[in-house]
Amino acid sequence: MAAEPVLVNEQLSGALQQPITALAWSPDGELVAIASGGGELLLLDFRAGCEELLRGDRDQSLDAIGFSSDGQFLMAVGQAGELLLWELGGSGVRPLALEPLALGAGWLDAAAWRPLGLLLAVAAGREVRLWDGASRQWCPQVLDLPGTVQALAWSADGALMAASCNGELALWQPLASPAPPPFRLATASAGLGLAFSPRAGLLAAGQMDRSLLLWPELGQGTPWQFSGFPAKVRLLAWSDQLGSLAPPLAVASGDTVVLWSQHDTGSRGWRPQPLLWHGARVNALAFAPGRPLLATASGDGTVALWDGNGALRQSLEGDGQGFNALAWRPDGQHLLAGGDQGRWWLWPVA
Amino acid sequence: MAFSTAVPAGERLPVTVLTGYLGAGKTTLLNRILTHEHGLKVAVIVNEFGEVGIDNQLVIDADEEIFEMNNGCICCTVRGDLIRIIGNLMKRRDRFDHLVIETTGLADPAPVIQTFFVDDDLRDELRLDAVVTLVDLRHVLQHWQADEVQEQLAFADVLLLNKADLVDEAERAAIEQRVRAINPMARLLTSTNADVPMQQILGVEAFELERALSLDPGFLVDDHDHEHDATVGSLALVEERPMDLDKLGSWLSELVAQRGPDLFRMKGIIQLAGEDCRYVFQSVHMLLDGDFDRPWKPGERRRTEFVIIGRDLDAAGLRAGFAACGA
Ligand SMILES: [Zn+2]
Ligand SMILES: [Zn+2]
Repeated sequence: MAAEPVLVNEQLSGALQQPITALAWSPDGELVAIASGGGELLLLDFRAGCEELLRGDRDQSLDAIGFSSDGQFLMAVGQAGELLLWELGGSGVRPLALEPLALGAGWLDAAAWRPLGLLLAVAAGREVRLWDGASRQWCPQVLDLPGTVQALAWSADGALMAASCNGELALWQPLASPAPPPFRLATASAGLGLAFSPRAGLLAAGQMDRSLLLWPELGQGTPWQFSGFPAKVRLLAWSDQLGSLAPPLAVASGDTVVLWSQHDTGSRGWRPQPLLWHGARVNALAFAPGRPLLATASGDGTVALWDGNGALRQSLEGDGQGFNALAWRPDGQHLLAGGDQGRWWLWPVA
Repeated sequence: MAFSTAVPAGERLPVTVLTGYLGAGKTTLLNRILTHEHGLKVAVIVNEFGEVGIDNQLVIDADEEIFEMNNGCICCTVRGDLIRIIGNLMKRRDRFDHLVIETTGLADPAPVIQTFFVDDDLRDELRLDAVVTLVDLRHVLQHWQADEVQEQLAFADVLLLNKADLVDEAERAAIEQRVRAINPMARLLTSTNADVPMQQILGVEAFELERALSLDPGFLVDDHDHEHDATVGSLALVEERPMDLDKLGSWLSELVAQRGPDLFRMKGIIQLAGEDCRYVFQSVHMLLDGDFDRPWKPGERRRTEFVIIGRDLDAAGLRAGFAACGA
């Protein structure tokens, strides 16, 4: 791959020039992509033991990256307003850059691969557009929203796409035939984060008005609404472990993390447990796949590991710089964290 | 809602908001800011892309999008596009020292201003430095009745009377007087081709409470309400007797609850009964902020000075309400 191979399986830290904005693991856990506020994109290949800088510092941020579910493509979007794609031939094979696709919708910061297949949803202004990796074309289906798309998410089975803007949440089944019109729900403010639970089909929306909305059945039915968070609710993560009813949900608002668990199906059945520890804004949170372990990363320069009961198990530090991003390897045994001065760390988590 | 934050002003990134009706010279001023040797790295957010003649990675386009924050109250609004774009930009804050936001000629400045006091992230990370409004001396009277023109004048901390080469001194003075009637608090500058010293428009710190009030000296002497020719006007209230903070607080809360959309900006230096320190106050629509300031200086004239800029101001009612707040 690169001219100078580096043994990254022994390298636990590295640095880009600018703050790290996004991290992603390939589905097989052999590749990692790291993006920065300067538009750098670094690909680490663990099996081949090498790394390649797919893009250097060009002073225009990349903000969302991701591998397709089969690991065939890597995508990145950001400040330049283009969708960047690389075709990956597997470990040890040099990635092939496709021609950048301009969307003409300003700064792009939300895009997500469908959990199955090769469809990529990209938030472009007031639209959600779909790029199909099979045909390498934009799909004719477009979801229109009344405001700029703030967040999007696929359901675990890939049948449903949720997208939010100020005042509306839209649920879309782009692959259904015939496709029903999008189901549109009015919301009191803007949904800043969306997440479907990996099991049990719940949908959570973190709102700008410091509230959390939770729908029991894929956005249908009456949502539970929880307000009174200390700041806007931007980050959400579902555990893949089953709780007593629904899986646990972690939510970040300002410097506070709240762990929600469902104890009965009534209107008061959800119980919040505040995890108060971070001294600055929480910028990322993620449950380890296959384990009841939550990682939270903060501008205070720490990553905290919490067990399923909300007890702090361990805190990790880099070199003092704040943390912007987190990503668990699919095996749940390795945690990657990115800092606000460009350094990244990879920790094996026993 | 107070608009203070726990994060010290010096740690927050200063933001200048550039407004002005179409053709007032915003783009010329923006290009000056970007090319001036002031040693600042300036990031710019524009709503009318393609006008800035400088190739700069830190010129970013945003589509104006207004979010209501308070059950549809027409004045409690923020700019959702700025929250999103600045949130992205702030991840790279070590790459620039100052942020300039250029609004469209038809924009109401209030949602932009309120964004920096209402949004959780932005209020901790940024500091609104000043609203700079350009006035086209040649054409402003043609658009005088436009709501946007009056709002842009009313919200300004710095008023730049531009295109001075296209009018004579009598015309300029007449416009200055009408501008002053709407906004007696702003720093007033006159320019040709938007050529002004950068330190007059960047680093103004107009929203820092200790700079709450710097009135045109003639204004308070004048001591009558300034609604000469527009629905938007200003009112100066002066009280020699000490005031009662509780009474004043209740009156102001009630006032903004009832008239918030029409009250653009208020600023005041308050003399409180039994207090050696000045109390300073400011507001933007329904956002109120007040705090104790430095002690009165020996020989300083201890009195309360309070200025209200708004639409359809009921001068008699405001005077009566204010006078009733005496200790
Ligand atoms: Zn209001
Ligand atoms: Zn007068």
